[in-house]
Amino acid sequence: MSSNAIEGKSITSVVVACDAGMGSSVMLTSQLKKRLGKYGVTVSHSPVAQIPQDAQVVVCHSGLAARAKATAPAAVVVPFQVFMGDPAFDRVEAAIRDGGSLAG
Amino acid sequence: MSNLQDLKHLEGPGFKARVQKAGAFLAGMIMPNIGAFIAWGLITALFIPVGWVPNEDLAKMVGPMITYLLPILIAYTGGRAIHGQRGAVIGAAATMGVIVGTDIPMFLGAMLMGPLAAWVLKKIDGFTQERTPVGFEMLVENFSLGISATILAIGGFFGIGPVVEGITKALGNGVDVLVSNNLLPLASIFVEPAKVLFLNNAINHGVLGPLGVNEAAESGKSILFMVETNPGPGLGILIAYWLFGPRLMRATAPGAMIIHFLGGIHEIYFPYILMKPRLIIAAIGGGAAGLLTATIFNAGLVATPAPGSIFAYLAVTPKGNYFGVLADIVVATGVSFVLAAFLLGFGRGEKAGDPQAADAVDQPVEV
Repeated sequence: MSSNAIEGKSITSVVVACDAGMGSSVMLTSQLKKRLGKYGVTVSHSPVAQIPQDAQVVVCHSGLAARAKATAPAAVVVPFQVFMGDPAFDRVEAAIRDGGSLAG
Repeated sequence: MSNLQDLKHLEGPGFKARVQKAGAFLAGMIMPNIGAFIAWGLITALFIPVGWVPNEDLAKMVGPMITYLLPILIAYTGGRAIHGQRGAVIGAAATMGVIVGTDIPMFLGAMLMGPLAAWVLKKIDGFTQERTPVGFEMLVENFSLGISATILAIGGFFGIGPVVEGITKALGNGVDVLVSNNLLPLASIFVEPAKVLFLNNAINHGVLGPLGVNEAAESGKSILFMVETNPGPGLGILIAYWLFGPRLMRATAPGAMIIHFLGGIHEIYFPYILMKPRLIIAAIGGGAAGLLTATIFNAGLVATPAPGSIFAYLAVTPKGNYFGVLADIVVATGVSFVLAAFLLGFGRGEKAGDPQAADAVDQPVEV
């Protein structure tokens, strides 16, 4: 399988994807905005089938990660398991804050 | 917590991803239009003769909205997904033939004709765009759309309308048989597991919703809106997690309950089941018990409650159905909670280090 990586300091946008792009992704987007906005990173939400082709980092539930990969093959897809307090969110924030490679 | 580095499930779009994708396409035609469905549901609940404030004049909106507005919005949205604005327009126009070719609301027909017409136009555009002389683009584009829409509308009138009407009626009759024989609760055996595999929107908005609308148009309400949307089973599982779950997960459960039950975002509880897959039994039991309750009390909703929040439920509950609808949710929550608590061993063995104890996380399901 292909795995992409991105330097944390060069991340300017994060896309949160869910099945419909209307429910859980909107909720997570507002949460991640609070955490990532202060680093100048824009956070947006999208249906998993319509992730923009130029997306840098895609955050989605692991159950949808295969579809996210298929929609945006160039993006770093960071899957998470639970909607609250998942270490994946910390991983994204740490990479953006401290620099370093974010793979997915 | 399972290993986040284990990305085996990313190996290409597999069967499940394809099912999710097809389902998401169906749901994607409905979900952007839910606001219009809710408007129709509220107008119906308010102004029909048995409504809250019967009003003969305002009730005239009910028929045209469900016959024309909602199917055309669906076809428009489906067409747009295939071929942008031109796809949206031809989808809406061609669906008129399907609508007037039958005497029932044509939701399934619209979900078929909208994307089909857009696909046909996409092929035609691909052919003509390379061959159109300079300056004739607008002329060609407008008439290629107009003529194709005319032909497809006529074809839909004679071909698709009657066929889809037959399919819709057969499916509706099948549902009637399930409901009248108290067999609808069996649906939970399929619905609840599919739901936590992120097929929730596909099932509700792709299948149950369109069938439910036909029933609601005839009898003012449908139980099909309550099959997938019931927040009870998820709530019961979250309460059980809060009291008896693995210590690490207990703290997150109350927040998840609020987002799930009040906010209506059901996805929040899926990971709690995926981490301990045997809890799906609690979801099935709760869902089935709720549906049985709703069947007994002859409860139904006027439109699909979306998102599946208790507030959305109350908003689309018709007059006189509050007891049955609330009983459905309460029973589903209770049964799901008791089963989940049992499956979590009532938190026993927290200290004993028993591998069967609640702290031992099952092998997570690869989703």
